[in-house]
Amino acid sequence: MTSVSIVERGGGPPQRRRRRGGGFSYVLPALVLLLIVFVLPVLLLLLRSVTEPELGLQNYRELVESATYGRVFLNTFLVSSVVTAITVLVGFPIAWLLVILPKRWADLLFGIIILSMWTNLLARTYAWMVLLQRTGVINKTLIGLGIIDEPLTLVNNLVGVTIGMTYIMLPFIILPLVTTMRGIEPDLLRAAALCGAGRLDAFRRVLLPLSLPGIAAGGLMTFVMSLGYFVTPSLLGGTSNMMAAELIAQLIQSLLNWGMGGAAAFALLVLTLALYALQLRLFRRTQAGRA
Amino acid sequence: MLLDFHRLGGLKWVLVGIGLFVAAFLLLPILFTVALSFGSSQWLVFPPPSWTLRWYEELFADSRWIDSTLTSLQCAVLVTILSVSLGLLASFGLVRGSFPGREAIRAMFLMPMIMPVIVVAVALYAFFLRLGLGGTLFGFVLAHTVIALPLAITSICNALERFDKSIEDAAVLCGANPWEAKLRITLPAIREGLFGAAVFAFLTSWDEVVIAIFMASPTLQTLPVHIWGTLRQDLTPVVAAASTLLLLFTLALMLVAAWFRGRTK
Repeated sequence: MTSVSIVERGGGPPQRRRRRGGGFSYVLPALVLLLIVFVLPVLLLLLRSVTEPELGLQNYRELVESATYGRVFLNTFLVSSVVTAITVLVGFPIAWLLVILPKRWADLLFGIIILSMWTNLLARTYAWMVLLQRTGVINKTLIGLGIIDEPLTLVNNLVGVTIGMTYIMLPFIILPLVTTMRGIEPDLLRAAALCGAGRLDAFRRVLLPLSLPGIAAGGLMTFVMSLGYFVTPSLLGGTSNMMAAELIAQLIQSLLNWGMGGAAAFALLVLTLALYALQLRLFRRTQAGRA
Repeated sequence: MLLDFHRLGGLKWVLVGIGLFVAAFLLLPILFTVALSFGSSQWLVFPPPSWTLRWYEELFADSRWIDSTLTSLQCAVLVTILSVSLGLLASFGLVRGSFPGREAIRAMFLMPMIMPVIVVAVALYAFFLRLGLGGTLFGFVLAHTVIALPLAITSICNALERFDKSIEDAAVLCGANPWEAKLRITLPAIREGLFGAAVFAFLTSWDEVVIAIFMASPTLQTLPVHIWGTLRQDLTPVVAAASTLLLLFTLALMLVAAWFRGRTK
């Protein structure tokens, strides 16, 4: 019955509540938890990156200079970029379709997207591990159709990682895009048509620019999430083509190299936060531009 | 007329074609897993030579599957309770309070959602190792609550911002004490936000694997950790059986969510 005691301690009413200017005591329990179980551990890890094995920036120097680590970060960028590009190219028509389809069909497609998103991550990854095997269904089908003679190596390399990650990221770009595209006035496109714009013009000069905030937001989110992804790359990828998150896990769990692991984690963290800051700025600007 | 389905002409069929392809792409792995779980081939030959329930029998006969499932359930329920109650309190403070640094604190609460999970996992691994919390249920619950909290707070804050506080004030004016007014007026009004927070928190913990891998010990594992360990050894169809059961669970949850949304509207 630990749960009950925790809730009572954390959730008890603050002693005396002021009507105005207060409210801080309400935030306090959650804030304390966040500081102790999140902020402090992360800071301690970053500290180890400059104190182990000795005080100094040698871990960061090695991170920048070593070709091995460089390749890992290159792989990470490459896979994240390709996944982002594919999900944007595929996600855009799907979001478009979701906005204009008759309600019943749109609901069905929505249901399929949500179902795949909510299905256990490992279950989805398992399916791809089996499907992409040398003797798997995809290779057999391609050979059966006479498209290839030899089975393709689709797993334990970056191809497998890219397929698996695209599958997982697709809903994350479709959903924000749908929100953006729902907000576009169909009248604007009607007006464009009345003014003599052809389909291509209407698409290029009205629909696409108005969808751009959604594309940018969804694309950046996919890219950032891909950068730090761990599960799919380690199950579908090979040992020779590591990505950043696997590197961090390996440095710490197998090699017990806390200094290097901390430095790599910090690099990933800074990159992620910088991209989020960029996204916030982009969003503010497009919103200001519209107002 | 690019936003009118019936006037799209030929383009309509291009979009529908892409839609069908993506729907197939999203459904294929899920249906495939279900089929494999009933297939008799240990080597995952597809289509299976014959059908069997053998993998489900193996699953239920293995105490490690059962134990890890129970651990996961326990952990997810505790995380749900903890993050909804902490999240509710924090949301009241964030939405209605006016203390200095409110916006900064609100942004900070979202940090665990933005951070790469691997960084959180590794940092907590080191921290809990030192405190002796690694491999304990308490450690699992604490770690998962931290990453579930941003979702709970977002969901409850949204609901609370939509709620008109003057209704609560009216109840107080009519003689209700402030806590009674909150309990009987405000909480029912934001129940959709609370329900969303509970579902998100539950799923976050239930599905979480990266932190759990670092937190687990040989004696205490969550279900995702057990699946992970099994997958690293071989691709046994027992995992397909477990995946199918998880899928049923997800479907049930989706139906409950749809029913709840239908009822509140």
